[in-house]
Amino acid sequence: MELYMPVVALGIIATGFAVFSIVMSAVVGPKRYNRAKLDSYECGIEPTPQPVGGGRFPVKYYITAMLFIVFDIEIIFLYPWAVAFDNMAVFGLVEMILFILTVFVAYAYVWRRGGLEWD
Amino acid sequence: MSSAAVLAAEFQAPSFEYSLLSPLLVIFGVAITGVLVEAFAPRGSRYLLQAVLAVLGVVGALVATVIVGLNLVSRGGGTAHGSIAAEGAIAVDGPSIFIWGTVLVLSLVSVLLFAERRLEGGVLSFAGQAAALPGTEAEREASTRGLEHTEVFPLMMFAVGGMMLFPASNDLLTMFVALEVLSLPLYLLCGLARRRRLLSQEAALKYFMLGAFSSGFFIYGIALVYGYAGSMNFAAISAAVSGRAGGEGLLLGGIALLAVGMMFKVGAAPFHAWTPDVYQGAPTAVTAFMAACTKVAAFGALLRLFYVAFGGARWDWTPMVWVIAILTMVVGSVLALSQTDVKRMLAYSSIAHAGFLLTGFVGAQQVADVGIGEITSLQAVLFYLVTYGFTTVAAFAVVTVVRDAGGEATHLSRWSGLGKESPVVAGVFAVLLLGMAGIPLTSGFTGKWAVFTTALAGGAWPLVVTAVLFSVVAAFFYVRVIVLMYFSDPVGEGPTVATPSILTTIVIAVGFAATLALGVVPGPVLDLAAAAGEFIR
Amino acid sequence: MSETPFIVLSAILFTIGCVGVLTRRNAIVVFMCVELMLNASNLALITFARVHGNLDGQVAAFFVMVVAAAEVVVGLAIIMTIFRTRRSASVDDASLLKY
Repeated sequence: MELYMPVVALGIIATGFAVFSIVMSAVVGPKRYNRAKLDSYECGIEPTPQPVGGGRFPVKYYITAMLFIVFDIEIIFLYPWAVAFDNMAVFGLVEMILFILTVFVAYAYVWRRGGLEWD
Repeated sequence: MSSAAVLAAEFQAPSFEYSLLSPLLVIFGVAITGVLVEAFAPRGSRYLLQAVLAVLGVVGALVATVIVGLNLVSRGGGTAHGSIAAEGAIAVDGPSIFIWGTVLVLSLVSVLLFAERRLEGGVLSFAGQAAALPGTEAEREASTRGLEHTEVFPLMMFAVGGMMLFPASNDLLTMFVALEVLSLPLYLLCGLARRRRLLSQEAALKYFMLGAFSSGFFIYGIALVYGYAGSMNFAAISAAVSGRAGGEGLLLGGIALLAVGMMFKVGAAPFHAWTPDVYQGAPTAVTAFMAACTKVAAFGALLRLFYVAFGGARWDWTPMVWVIAILTMVVGSVLALSQTDVKRMLAYSSIAHAGFLLTGFVGAQQVADVGIGEITSLQAVLFYLVTYGFTTVAAFAVVTVVRDAGGEATHLSRWSGLGKESPVVAGVFAVLLLGMAGIPLTSGFTGKWAVFTTALAGGAWPLVVTAVLFSVVAAFFYVRVIVLMYFSDPVGEGPTVATPSILTTIVIAVGFAATLALGVVPGPVLDLAAAAGEFIR
Repeated sequence: MSETPFIVLSAILFTIGCVGVLTRRNAIVVFMCVELMLNASNLALITFARVHGNLDGQVAAFFVMVVAAAEVVVGLAIIMTIFRTRRSASVDDASLLKY
């Protein structure tokens, strides 16, 4: 159990920090409301009215999200390589460069064919 | 230091036999180059670049395969020869080389079918712009601007790469990755038809859903077998199976789940449900490629997995395969009788063929049992795959040229009277159908003969009797189409036979020639299959 | 610590995924169930890697994750196309191909 003490301690500290921040800002912070502040928060973008039933998203979101997932997940192959980096020597380096080049080929395709353009 | 760190410290830089794996590297290299071409070449020049690149790539890989094949070293004293490459992940042995050669030749033929542009009036038979919705302004615009997806060539090359890796994998993980590499491009290709796009998209959805489902079974099977044997490597699994170190449930469950995944890919009943829908909905060029090459690759992998890794548990999986084989033959032959669409009928015929192939597979006549001049079941199945592949590609190629105003006229009623309209096409199709039925002097007969005799020698006589019986049933529906083509009057305007470019003509000619040649002089290819020897362990 | 509970959990997850695929009608949900099956396999692979004390299972889990991601992209692309065409993601509505 004592093995997990640091984790528990970290959890307590994190919770404490979060509670402290919220409480302190509520207590100390100035309270001047305007229309923008009372709106629902949407990453800084002006919120758009939602139609009933959620409505439909532009397909652009899908493309961006999917491209992100594919390129993001490739990174996990870097972990085992990083762990055994010393023993794999030059061979590992060369193979990893080849791997990343292959990923870049896909990236080049996406870029050239307009997959990264929003409009 | 944790146990993982200790294990990591033991890692050595692996050795990688580049020359042995050159066929695979060429194909994957061509596929990646294809993606770059797609990214940087101007639109107008892409078609020619991609088609030439694909053809050169496949030919290059074929040459590399022959060179590798000629330099295989004998291993273990028996007929097995070859070496294990890439730290035990890939087995480059006789059967691998034979399957690589078969897949590559069939892919070469299929590339030509993919590249056919004349039948659609100067564009590929794939969707001009897959993202444009069917029946919208965007689609019409894509069509008038003559857009085409030349991505089909790199996609196909990736699939070919997967098909080569699949039967050559020597551990479960490589096999799983290869399975996905071959499947994912095929899911996409299925949805890219230019005509009848709703059908095509539906085919892609069904193929994808069921394919993903079956790969879920496959990977859970891998997990269980790994849990049993403690290794993914076939040799280690084989040793564990022979030793029977306990944990019987894990092993049997794993074998069953892996079999589900495999049987799905080969299209065996009761996992065949996707086959007719996908074969019908997919663009016919893709169907031809998929029907021929996937089956070759999947049977190669099935044989390696069950003979090499689970050879010691043969008595556990044999009854299961018996049931599947009989069911597959029954379903394939009987349901084909009631089909009204020629692509669907050929799909059921391919299911029936999977059943015949399973008969050979389960007969399991091993090296130790064969006399002089006899072949093992592995070699018989390999030979059958060659005969089946050529006939199938050519049959689907014929389907692409029989057309009406709406594209391919796949409904069987449209085929009546084809013999009067175009004696050549009808004649060729008739021979191909007879080949599938297994009439003597065609490749279907020699293939069935090889498979059934080995199964008989392996003691599976009830299975062989069933197989022969259902060959007769199957022959009925092949002959029905021939009767329809020659002895029925055309309905309405009747079918028209479009004149294809030289590409499709080559495909049909090659398939037709192979069907006859392998039926009359099967010797050379049979010798080649026999020379493939056995799997290395 | 015994490994059996993990294997049992993975079997339960796999079964939930499997039943979900067979009974749900929405293509996206069916697909999520397939992902659940893959993740159940990952749990089993990791557990067995611990049982056997080697890294094969853990490496396999990495590959399964990558394959799952690739499958998601291809699969959602196909589902998306169908949905845009038919305004429906129900697997029952895709029924042009039959018999």
